[in-house]
Amino acid sequence: MFLRLPVLRAQQIAAVGLTMIAVSTLAQDTPPTTHSEVLIRNAVIMTATHGNIPEGSVYIKDGKIAAVGKDVSAPASATIIDAGGKYLTPGIIDSHSHIALDGDINEATSPITPHMMMIDAFDFQDKSIYHGLAGGVTTSLLLHGSANMIGGQAVVIKHKYGATRDAMLFLGAPRSIKFASGENPKRVYGSKDQLPSTRMGNFEVQREALVQAQDYMREWDAYNAKVKNGDKDATPPKHDLKMEALADVLRGKLLVQIHCYRADEMLTEIAMAKEFGYKLRAFHHALEAYKVADQLAAAGVGIATFSDWWGFKQEAWDAIPWNAVMAMRKGVKVAIKSDSEDFARRLNQEAAKTMRYGGATEQEALQMITLNAAWIIGVEDRVGSIDVGKDADLVIWDGYPLSSYGVPNRVFIDGDVYFDRSLPGLGMPHYKEGM
Amino acid sequence: MRKNDVFSGLLPFALVALFLCVSVVAQQKPVALRGGKLLTVTHGTIENGVLVIENGKIVAVGAANSVKIPKDSRVVDVSGMTVYPGLIDSETQLGLTEIQAEEMTNDFIEPSDEIMPHMHVYDAFHAESELIPVTRCNGITNAIVAPGSRDTLPGQDSFIQLAGKTQEDFLLVRDIAMPLNFSGEQRRNQGSFEHRKFPSTRMGLAAQLRQAFLDAQDYAQKWSDYEKKKTDYDKNNSNAEPKTDASSQAENKDKDKKQPPMPPKRDLKLEALLPYLQGKKVVVLGTEEANDLQAAVGLAREFNLKFVLNHISHSQSVLDYVASLHVPVIVGPIYEDPKPEERYDAVYSLPAQLSKRGVKIAFASYGAHDARNLPYQAGFATAFGLPYEEALRAITINAAEIWGVAESLGSLDLGKTANVVVANGDPLDMKTDVKRVFIDGQEIPMQNRQTQLRDRYRNP
Repeated sequence: MFLRLPVLRAQQIAAVGLTMIAVSTLAQDTPPTTHSEVLIRNAVIMTATHGNIPEGSVYIKDGKIAAVGKDVSAPASATIIDAGGKYLTPGIIDSHSHIALDGDINEATSPITPHMMMIDAFDFQDKSIYHGLAGGVTTSLLLHGSANMIGGQAVVIKHKYGATRDAMLFLGAPRSIKFASGENPKRVYGSKDQLPSTRMGNFEVQREALVQAQDYMREWDAYNAKVKNGDKDATPPKHDLKMEALADVLRGKLLVQIHCYRADEMLTEIAMAKEFGYKLRAFHHALEAYKVADQLAAAGVGIATFSDWWGFKQEAWDAIPWNAVMAMRKGVKVAIKSDSEDFARRLNQEAAKTMRYGGATEQEALQMITLNAAWIIGVEDRVGSIDVGKDADLVIWDGYPLSSYGVPNRVFIDGDVYFDRSLPGLGMPHYKEGM
Repeated sequence: MRKNDVFSGLLPFALVALFLCVSVVAQQKPVALRGGKLLTVTHGTIENGVLVIENGKIVAVGAANSVKIPKDSRVVDVSGMTVYPGLIDSETQLGLTEIQAEEMTNDFIEPSDEIMPHMHVYDAFHAESELIPVTRCNGITNAIVAPGSRDTLPGQDSFIQLAGKTQEDFLLVRDIAMPLNFSGEQRRNQGSFEHRKFPSTRMGLAAQLRQAFLDAQDYAQKWSDYEKKKTDYDKNNSNAEPKTDASSQAENKDKDKKQPPMPPKRDLKLEALLPYLQGKKVVVLGTEEANDLQAAVGLAREFNLKFVLNHISHSQSVLDYVASLHVPVIVGPIYEDPKPEERYDAVYSLPAQLSKRGVKIAFASYGAHDARNLPYQAGFATAFGLPYEEALRAITINAAEIWGVAESLGSLDLGKTANVVVANGDPLDMKTDVKRVFIDGQEIPMQNRQTQLRDRYRNP
């Protein structure tokens, strides 16, 4: 369920009460759809779930994958695209991005800001959306930064550059919240002589916030019980956006995504989640996951990691390029993510490195930038593989995608071509300069 | 970060470094790499080839049936493997940093002034850096080490090899070149008018640079005047045989009064500029956009500097002009984000566009931790039209030629230094695993801090 928070007034918040704050069915501007039925044929289909289909076809109807296989029939009305023997993969999914936020990444004025909504900063005209698209990225999780122990709530977008803002929002994606740990919060607040400036302070600030949220929930429970018992004089507690968001963490309504480098901090976060009864979705960066992979697997926490970045800060000093595969072999769900506009343009190459460092199979490497990334975002039923019923987010590649040489030739989102390398100018059928 | 944290944090790496730096295995006898596919770079590919290394040099290279393997050789079967020359990274910050965010481990740039040509990276170069074994295990055997690019003249580069016992072994050519950066990034006194100080604009930076070169010319003149005077003086004095007659005694008395000429005061900053003003060494002109590129070339020409170009990432509109300069270009990083108005592949395709115009190119990682990924940049450029052979040359022989070391490096040729890499596939693809690396004829253990961590946690 996608949560869209326009400018909320206190009264509106009060009106919707304690459950979900505002679930708006967005008036969806239909993207410029040129084809309602498409047959892509003569492709080497890398499905990401059930191996490769040489000389395969994909039939797309109403933006969804309607059929996949060696022999696929389509009505005569379908537009036929001959892939010319090129590779076809699911659209790439970036499970950790800060693009298109106009620099509004960190509300670094308090270590606890769970009520920040990244959608409020989303700049649908930012060219980095196009740059990712041209690299085959079709879906991105735009996260709050890591200045705060508990940052804001993410927005999930599809890279339909040239479409309207609302058409770019991934409808139905679950809500994710960003937690952080380690050096960034302690540096940001330490430099202001505030709490936290140590890892002790970091975790204490986080624990304190969760305890407050428990108190807040108890106050409301007590009030609701009074109302239920017919107490007409009961006064409602104050609505507090920040506490609401944390309460939703405790209620399990938010996917918790934690920026975390060191192994010890991952274990502490797992323990704290257990203590307060919420579940963690993924550790992001997670460069020391290989040291505690058994524990991550047991807790059911995934990782969104870099392929081979290291040494840029002290807590990245023990990073090794075998991290992704070592964690995967222990049963951890692993995604390779960008965390940068630059790497978002060539995540396929970053995934390919896992085949060399640790020997991921082709499909395992591909899953790290498709299906597993979709799982981290919580949209694995919608995107991330070439399977019937999923959104037709697809990439036709020039060259072998898991190599130095793979470059997207065409990128489809919801069955429509949003990037075509053969076109002049920027290569986008739906984009006009000055939109 | 508090002082104590730094020390307690750094101690463990110091110990590992100690272990890894004694890493070069002494070569006892000739090594023959037999059965591999040799990418010679200068004379094509040899399937099923043999390469023999002895006393640090390549002493034989050719098809298996044409090379006689010396009797006492250690023969290494490399069939199914690709053998290629050690890769050369044309700009890195290797040895100048350990952990980017930890200031005390960085020695990138001396920021007290824009004109600091007397800074020598060799004075900071840390041969025991943990980054070096990580980099060389991926087949990079040589590199330029350059200071940070934040200032116009931040200092002088050194050319290194990535193995040895002390920095003496690593630093092959000290002060090999001098970066001159003019990309707009050097304007560090921007901001509100009341806070500005000179130089705050490109005009200011250019004027400051001109003044520095003029000062250096004056300085050179002072020294040459002095040398001339001194020569005259020495000549006069050495001709002065002891004379006995009265008149000559008087003459000698006069001469005694004349003191030898005083040398000018040495100025290390101006002295550093002299080899560049005299065209003895190459200046590396760092620019991004067309206007900066042309302004920088203008400045270089005013002082007859010998130069190569660096970056030029957003100069697509003047590539014919670039070709007309007949100078090499260190290109990239090609991962540089395009400008908002540029097509997504504007920077990716730059190497191909330059190569098509006959410009000699070389790639650089412009980094330290990620220098190991240098070859993939070259591979990626081929996806945008750069011929494969040229991509490989751009990280081997082209770089060697640009830096004046092609007699000993950059290809698998007889007599060259044995910097040789053995890998299980295409050197430009990231799926390829590097299996053996020889530097200066010595086989490097394929270990580094990262493999040690891997092994510790993989086999607990």
